[in-house]
Amino acid sequence: MTRLMESVRAVRRLGLVLLLGLTVAGCGINTIPTMEEQAKAKWSDVQNQYQRRADLIPNLVETVKGYAQQERETLTQVIEARAKATQVKVDASTITDPAKFKEYQDAQNALTGALGRLLVTVERYPDLKSNQNFLALQSQLEGTENRIAVARRDYIEAVRTYNTELKTWPGLIWASTLYRGYKPMETFTATPDSQRAPTVKF
Amino acid sequence: MIAAARKSGGVPGVDARQLATVLVAAWAVLLSVLGAQALTFPPLTGRVVDEAGILDPATRQELTQKLADFEAKTTDQIVVVTLKSLQGTTIEDYGYQLGRHWGIGQKDKNNGALLIVAPNERKVRIEVGYGLEGDLTDAVSRLIIENAILPRFRVNDYAGGISRGVDDIIQAVSVDPEEWRSRAEKRADHQSSSVDLFMMLLLLIVFIMIVRSVSRQSRYQRDMRRGPWSGGPIIIPPPGNWGSGSSSSGSSWSDSGGFSGGGGSFGGGGASGSW
Repeated sequence: MTRLMESVRAVRRLGLVLLLGLTVAGCGINTIPTMEEQAKAKWSDVQNQYQRRADLIPNLVETVKGYAQQERETLTQVIEARAKATQVKVDASTITDPAKFKEYQDAQNALTGALGRLLVTVERYPDLKSNQNFLALQSQLEGTENRIAVARRDYIEAVRTYNTELKTWPGLIWASTLYRGYKPMETFTATPDSQRAPTVKF
Repeated sequence: MIAAARKSGGVPGVDARQLATVLVAAWAVLLSVLGAQALTFPPLTGRVVDEAGILDPATRQELTQKLADFEAKTTDQIVVVTLKSLQGTTIEDYGYQLGRHWGIGQKDKNNGALLIVAPNERKVRIEVGYGLEGDLTDAVSRLIIENAILPRFRVNDYAGGISRGVDDIIQAVSVDPEEWRSRAEKRADHQSSSVDLFMMLLLLIVFIMIVRSVSRQSRYQRDMRRGPWSGGPIIIPPPGNWGSGSSSSGSSWSDSGGFSGGGGSFGGGGASGSW
């Protein structure tokens, strides 16, 4: 082996190490922003589904009112809960702000509760229960609640992945250097109310 | 790994294949661990997966044909599945996860639907993918269940209920012939997640090949049988090695029977019923 060969070999080895380093680094550097975008996308899915539910409510209230005037109190509660839920200002910053997130979650849970109570009272009105319009609304509501559940689960998973990446190797390195501004995201806490979607048994 | 490569001194092709096999096995184990869920799903053996064994072969055949024709025309994927057990969860919870696991519907359009029957729990569900929610709405699904499926299930006519349900679903999702033609033309290729996996595997193999070739270079062995390996610092390995490596892992990913999900996803739309 000549000295030239040895140094060439050394240079090649160095090149190898650099290539290895770049590959490892390349793997990690994009993960945090990618995961953040994913979590944000899932969050907007959740918002969409909650909005969809809010949109169904006026129709529901009108239909019930036609058959069950004496349930005015329950209906009013639903209307108020809906107004409150749609008033909470939500945007991308909500998911990193614990207080705003809690406000949003509480408002939606309150609406879930009010809807549940309304659907329970509907049980007492067989005419209403067999009304075609109501049946259609009820299936839409059930479908929306299911979609909300699925969207929440997807969001929780995306947030879990993102938060974990921020705290574990090698994301930890990037989080404390390039991505110092990235904060962990809030996740939904399950309450007993929100576990069950409002359903009506025939 | 470099030391082992030096010691072996055998034909490069064999090493690559072994390496590829080991890597594929490692990936498979990793995937199974990462993808482990509490729920288990039956294998997607065809368009009608009769795990609960409530359909006769003639009905299965007829349904399979109907659904295959429908997919050929519209690229929508509809699958009928009967389950032995819901494993303690609700049919809504099971349904969308099953749909995602199988990837029913084309990846870019999410135009899949499942008709799920759990005879032991007496539950039925039409699970609708994101892309079909506009036509097969929750209300329509509910109507199909109430009017076509449940009355027949209540008298134990599973075959009739499922057949009628499938007909109604097809009708709900059907659009006019013009739309069919334009959809068939726009049909996207099947992109399964295994392709991404493949790419990573390929890159890894390339990297390792480079490493080995560089280390061999420095030994200055003039063995001409290793033709492609000498001369030039970084070289692409000959396609022969690739072909064997990738085809062996390729066949292990594909489904038997020719039907597989197009990679579509589900969001919880649809309706359920029980009898």
